[in-house]
Amino acid sequence: MTNKKAISIILGVMCFALTLGIFVQVRTIRNTDSTISQNQEANELRDEILKYKERYDNKFKELEQAEEQLEQEREKATQNDTELEQAQQKITEGNKITGMTEVTGPGVTITLTDGKGIATSTLNPSDLIVHDLDVLSVINELINAGAEAISINDQRWVLTTAISCRGNTIDINGQRIGAPFVIKAIGLPEYLAGLERVGGYLEYMKQDGVGVKLEKSNNITIPKYSGVINFEYLKNVEE
Amino acid sequence: MIFIAILIGCILGAILGLNAPMISYTYSSYLAIAIIAALDSVFGGIASVIKKNFDLKIFISGFFGNAILAILLTILGQKLNVDIYLAAIIVFVWRMFMNLGTIRRYYVEKWSDIIKEKASKRNKQEEQEEK
Repeated sequence: MTNKKAISIILGVMCFALTLGIFVQVRTIRNTDSTISQNQEANELRDEILKYKERYDNKFKELEQAEEQLEQEREKATQNDTELEQAQQKITEGNKITGMTEVTGPGVTITLTDGKGIATSTLNPSDLIVHDLDVLSVINELINAGAEAISINDQRWVLTTAISCRGNTIDINGQRIGAPFVIKAIGLPEYLAGLERVGGYLEYMKQDGVGVKLEKSNNITIPKYSGVINFEYLKNVEE
Repeated sequence: MIFIAILIGCILGAILGLNAPMISYTYSSYLAIAIIAALDSVFGGIASVIKKNFDLKIFISGFFGNAILAILLTILGQKLNVDIYLAAIIVFVWRMFMNLGTIRRYYVEKWSDIIKEKASKRNKQEEQEEK
């Protein structure tokens, strides 16, 4: 009897280990949502890319933690010194403007989606798609309306941001971004909602068949810029 | 008793597996080969029960030993840039098919024996009725 008990316990533990392994593996593979190609070389390359992406994500997390620590240390160091405290305040104020911190405030969310019309029913099928220049024009109008911070699909608009075409995606801050484009802007919502005016760019896009949605909101959160702004040639003019 | 233990083990494993943190993609290939090795051991165990030479110690050592050995071979293969894991998969799957064949033959023979017995019984009954 004891022998049978021992066998059943051991078999139970083994089945436990086996099913645990299978479930974890299936979930991991499903999470990477990769399609398996018939070409082995393509598979290996994809494998390599996934591994590097994972390493990049881990490093990015470490960097974020280090930045947080730096912030804490800075706060600690400047606690009992008014001069340093003022300098610290200047830094945080500057970071807010240059886009190095997460900011929140009232504003609007504009969603641009590719048109759902039949391509042959329009004169130019290209009009149905949101292009890089469309996004650029919308951002230009937002800045014109007094937007203080802008993000496109969670990519912060900063001094060095450029928007360019990458086939069926667009490139912002060196990151590839696809439709739908969610443009968030902080500013006076009434002014920013003026983008919907007759004869404005959003109206023009609507006529082309692109899906345009503008929503006012009282609390919009815009993430910080994840890259580094590096100026090499810029110098102050000495008077 | 044994089946209840297996069922509880499977259910617990499934529940924990659904809630466990995901392993990183880098190590998922090792886990995959370990799963194949463990499955091979399970089928081997069932086949040995049928052959009536089942030994628990051999079964356990095979279950864990094969899995660990397969992982180590995969790591070695990656270091040497040779896909050793392919060889391991071929061996394990081949053995799985062999064991499945043994299991299948056992049950098919058992089943056909039962059918034969029934048929002979019926024949006897018919003969008696005829008399």
